[in-house]
Amino acid sequence: MKTFNQIAQELLKIPAGQVRDDITPKDVPDWDSMNYLFFISELEKEFDISFTMDEVLNAKSLGEVKNIIKSKGVAL
Amino acid sequence: MKNIADKSIDQMSIGDKSSFKRTVTNEDIIEFARISGDINPLHLDAKYAASTKFKKRIAHGMFLGALCSRLVGVYLPGRRCLYLSQDLVFKNPVYIGDTVTVTGRVKHKSNAARIIEIAIEIKNKKKLAAYGTAKVQIL
Repeated sequence: MKTFNQIAQELLKIPAGQVRDDITPKDVPDWDSMNYLFFISELEKEFDISFTMDEVLNAKSLGEVKNIIKSKGVAL
Repeated sequence: MKNIADKSIDQMSIGDKSSFKRTVTNEDIIEFARISGDINPLHLDAKYAASTKFKKRIAHGMFLGALCSRLVGVYLPGRRCLYLSQDLVFKNPVYIGDTVTVTGRVKHKSNAARIIEIAIEIKNKKKLAAYGTAKVQIL
Protein backbone atom coordinates (compact mmCIF):
# COMPACT_ATOMS: atom_id res chain seq x y z
CA MET A 1 0.00 0.00 0.00
CA LYS A 2 1.26 3.45 -0.92
CA THR A 3 1.62 6.22 1.66
CA PHE A 4 0.22 9.73 1.33
CA ASN A 5 3.74 11.05 0.76
CA GLN A 6 4.45 8.50 -1.97
CA ILE A 7 1.25 9.45 -3.79
CA ALA A 8 2.10 13.14 -3.50
CA GLN A 9 5.58 12.48 -4.87
CA GLU A 10 4.26 10.40 -7.74
CA LEU A 11 1.26 12.47 -8.83
CA LEU A 12 2.39 16.01 -7.99
CA LYS A 13 6.08 15.36 -8.74
CA ILE A 14 7.23 16.61 -5.33
CA PRO A 15 10.81 15.46 -4.67
CA ALA A 16 11.26 12.81 -1.96
CA GLY A 17 11.82 14.40 1.44
CA GLN A 18 10.14 17.67 0.43
CA VAL A 19 6.52 16.68 1.10
CA ARG A 20 5.32 19.04 3.87
CA ASP A 21 1.90 20.00 5.18
CA ASP A 22 2.33 23.67 4.27
CA ILE A 23 2.96 22.97 0.58
CA THR A 24 0.45 24.69 -1.73
CA PRO A 25 -0.01 24.72 -5.51
CA LYS A 26 2.23 27.81 -5.68
CA ASP A 27 5.15 25.74 -4.40
CA VAL A 28 4.79 22.86 -6.86
CA PRO A 29 5.07 23.45 -10.63
CA ASP A 30 3.23 20.18 -11.40
CA TRP A 31 0.31 20.92 -9.05
CA ASP A 32 -2.06 22.02 -11.81
CA SER A 33 -5.79 21.41 -11.80
CA MET A 34 -5.62 18.13 -13.71
CA ASN A 35 -2.76 16.62 -11.70
CA TYR A 36 -4.60 17.64 -8.54
CA LEU A 37 -7.66 15.66 -9.70
CA PHE A 38 -5.44 12.65 -10.52
CA PHE A 39 -3.97 13.05 -7.00
CA ILE A 40 -7.44 13.10 -5.40
CA SER A 41 -8.58 10.10 -7.45
CA GLU A 42 -5.49 8.12 -6.45
CA LEU A 43 -5.96 8.98 -2.75
CA GLU A 44 -9.57 7.79 -2.95
CA LYS A 45 -8.48 4.52 -4.52
CA GLU A 46 -5.58 3.89 -2.14
CA PHE A 47 -7.42 4.74 1.09
CA ASP A 48 -10.89 3.56 -0.02
CA ILE A 49 -12.54 6.91 0.71
CA SER A 50 -14.56 9.48 -1.22
CA PHE A 51 -14.01 13.22 -1.28
CA THR A 52 -16.87 15.62 -1.80
CA MET A 53 -16.65 18.27 -4.49
CA ASP A 54 -16.46 20.98 -1.76
CA GLU A 55 -13.57 19.22 -0.06
CA VAL A 56 -11.67 19.03 -3.34
CA LEU A 57 -12.26 22.70 -4.13
CA ASN A 58 -11.58 24.05 -0.64
CA ALA A 59 -8.36 22.25 0.23
CA LYS A 60 -5.52 24.75 -0.16
CA SER A 61 -2.48 22.77 1.00
CA LEU A 62 -1.25 19.21 1.41
CA GLY A 63 -1.95 19.49 5.14
CA GLU A 64 -5.59 20.36 4.45
CA VAL A 65 -5.90 17.38 2.10
CA LYS A 66 -4.40 15.20 4.84
CA ASN A 67 -6.87 16.54 7.40
CA ILE A 68 -9.80 15.65 5.13
CA ILE A 69 -8.49 12.09 4.84
CA LYS A 70 -8.01 11.87 8.62
CA SER A 71 -11.58 13.13 9.15
CA LYS A 72 -12.74 10.04 7.25
CA GLY A 73 -11.12 7.73 9.80
CA VAL A 74 -7.86 7.04 8.00
CA ALA A 75 -4.69 7.16 10.09
CA LEU A 76 -1.85 8.80 8.18
CA MET B 1 -24.60 11.39 -33.38
CA LYS B 2 -25.97 7.86 -33.52
CA ASN B 3 -24.54 4.77 -31.86
CA ILE B 4 -22.57 6.64 -29.25
CA ALA B 5 -23.14 6.04 -25.55
CA ASP B 6 -23.87 9.05 -23.37
CA LYS B 7 -23.28 8.15 -19.72
CA SER B 8 -23.01 10.72 -16.94
CA ILE B 9 -20.74 10.21 -13.94
CA ASP B 10 -23.80 9.21 -11.89
CA GLN B 11 -24.68 6.53 -14.43
CA MET B 12 -21.23 4.91 -14.23
CA SER B 13 -20.44 2.19 -11.69
CA ILE B 14 -17.43 0.07 -10.87
CA GLY B 15 -17.72 -3.12 -12.90
CA ASP B 16 -19.49 -1.53 -15.89
CA LYS B 17 -18.25 -3.21 -19.07
CA SER B 18 -18.31 -2.61 -22.79
CA SER B 19 -16.69 -4.36 -25.73
CA PHE B 20 -16.53 -4.45 -29.50
CA LYS B 21 -14.81 -6.46 -32.20
CA ARG B 22 -12.62 -5.24 -35.05
CA THR B 23 -11.01 -7.16 -37.90
CA VAL B 24 -7.63 -5.73 -38.89
CA THR B 25 -7.23 -5.16 -42.61
CA ASN B 26 -4.29 -4.36 -44.87
CA GLU B 27 -5.92 -0.96 -45.48
CA ASP B 28 -5.89 -0.28 -41.73
CA ILE B 29 -2.13 -0.81 -41.59
CA ILE B 30 -1.45 1.27 -44.69
CA GLU B 31 -3.67 4.09 -43.43
CA PHE B 32 -2.20 4.00 -39.93
CA ALA B 33 1.32 4.20 -41.41
CA ARG B 34 0.23 7.20 -43.47
CA ILE B 35 -1.46 9.00 -40.60
CA SER B 36 1.22 8.34 -38.00
CA GLY B 37 4.26 8.35 -40.27
CA ASP B 38 5.37 5.04 -38.75
CA ILE B 39 6.58 3.29 -41.89
CA ASN B 40 8.58 0.65 -40.07
CA PRO B 41 9.02 -2.34 -42.43
CA LEU B 42 7.67 -4.79 -39.86
CA HIS B 43 4.26 -3.30 -40.69
CA LEU B 44 4.68 -2.62 -44.41
CA ASP B 45 7.33 -4.88 -45.97
CA ALA B 46 6.32 -8.54 -46.26
CA LYS B 47 9.86 -9.64 -47.19
CA TYR B 48 11.39 -7.96 -44.18
CA ALA B 49 8.63 -9.25 -41.86
CA ALA B 50 9.26 -12.80 -43.17
CA SER B 51 12.87 -12.53 -41.97
CA THR B 52 11.78 -11.76 -38.39
CA LYS B 53 10.33 -14.00 -35.69
CA PHE B 54 6.87 -12.74 -36.64
CA LYS B 55 7.09 -14.19 -40.19
CA LYS B 56 4.34 -11.86 -41.46
CA ARG B 57 3.57 -8.15 -41.30
CA ILE B 58 1.98 -7.11 -38.01
CA ALA B 59 -0.35 -4.29 -37.05
CA HIS B 60 1.11 -1.24 -35.33
CA GLY B 61 0.79 -1.48 -31.56
CA MET B 62 -0.73 1.95 -31.47
CA PHE B 63 -3.41 0.88 -33.91
CA LEU B 64 -4.62 -1.12 -30.92
CA GLY B 65 -4.18 2.11 -28.94
CA ALA B 66 -6.53 3.78 -31.41
CA LEU B 67 -9.09 1.08 -30.65
CA CYS B 68 -8.79 2.01 -26.95
CA SER B 69 -9.64 5.56 -27.98
CA ARG B 70 -12.76 4.25 -29.73
CA LEU B 71 -13.74 2.24 -26.65
CA VAL B 72 -13.72 5.23 -24.29
CA GLY B 73 -14.83 7.86 -26.79
CA VAL B 74 -17.78 5.94 -28.17
CA TYR B 75 -18.86 3.25 -25.68
CA LEU B 76 -17.50 3.68 -22.15
CA PRO B 77 -18.47 6.39 -21.20
CA GLY B 78 -18.94 7.68 -24.76
CA ARG B 79 -20.01 11.18 -25.72
CA ARG B 80 -18.96 12.99 -22.52
CA CYS B 81 -15.48 11.41 -22.43
CA LEU B 82 -12.33 13.47 -22.01
CA TYR B 83 -9.41 11.06 -22.52
CA LEU B 84 -6.75 11.90 -19.92
CA SER B 85 -4.21 9.11 -20.01
CA GLN B 86 -3.55 5.61 -21.25
CA ASP B 87 -0.95 2.99 -20.47
CA LEU B 88 -0.70 0.03 -22.78
CA VAL B 89 1.40 -3.15 -22.83
CA PHE B 90 1.72 -5.10 -26.08
CA LYS B 91 1.83 -8.84 -25.41
CA ASN B 92 1.31 -10.59 -28.73
CA PRO B 93 1.25 -9.57 -32.41
CA VAL B 94 -1.91 -8.95 -34.39
CA TYR B 95 -1.86 -9.91 -38.07
CA ILE B 96 -3.90 -8.85 -41.07
CA GLY B 97 -7.24 -10.69 -40.97
CA ASP B 98 -7.21 -11.17 -37.18
CA THR B 99 -10.34 -10.13 -35.32
CA VAL B 100 -9.61 -8.56 -31.96
CA THR B 101 -12.06 -8.00 -29.14
CA VAL B 102 -11.57 -4.80 -27.15
CA THR B 103 -13.08 -4.92 -23.66
CA GLY B 104 -13.14 -2.20 -21.01
CA ARG B 105 -14.23 -2.52 -17.38
CA VAL B 106 -14.57 0.37 -14.91
CA LYS B 107 -12.25 -0.36 -12.01
CA HIS B 108 -12.30 2.96 -10.12
CA LYS B 109 -14.56 5.98 -10.03
CA SER B 110 -14.04 9.34 -8.35
CA ASN B 111 -17.20 11.43 -8.22
CA ALA B 112 -15.33 14.44 -6.88
CA ALA B 113 -12.71 14.43 -9.64
CA ARG B 114 -15.19 13.10 -12.22
CA ILE B 115 -12.50 10.60 -13.23
CA ILE B 116 -12.98 6.94 -13.99
CA GLU B 117 -10.29 4.32 -14.56
CA ILE B 118 -10.98 1.64 -17.13
CA ALA B 119 -9.05 -1.62 -17.35
CA ILE B 120 -8.75 -2.51 -21.03
CA GLU B 121 -7.94 -5.88 -22.57
CA ILE B 122 -7.51 -6.53 -26.27
CA LYS B 123 -7.81 -10.20 -27.10
CA ASN B 124 -6.99 -11.92 -30.38
CA LYS B 125 -9.20 -14.99 -30.11
CA LYS B 126 -8.23 -16.21 -26.62
CA LYS B 127 -4.73 -14.75 -26.67
CA LEU B 128 -4.05 -11.42 -24.99
CA ALA B 129 -2.75 -8.95 -27.58
CA ALA B 130 -2.53 -5.91 -25.31
CA TYR B 131 -3.76 -4.56 -21.98
CA GLY B 132 -3.69 -1.28 -20.11
CA THR B 133 -5.55 1.34 -18.12
CA ALA B 134 -7.34 4.41 -19.41
CA LYS B 135 -8.17 7.40 -17.24
CA VAL B 136 -11.00 9.56 -18.49
CA GLN B 137 -12.88 12.51 -17.13
CA ILE B 138 -16.61 12.67 -17.71
CA LEU B 139 -17.59 16.13 -18.86
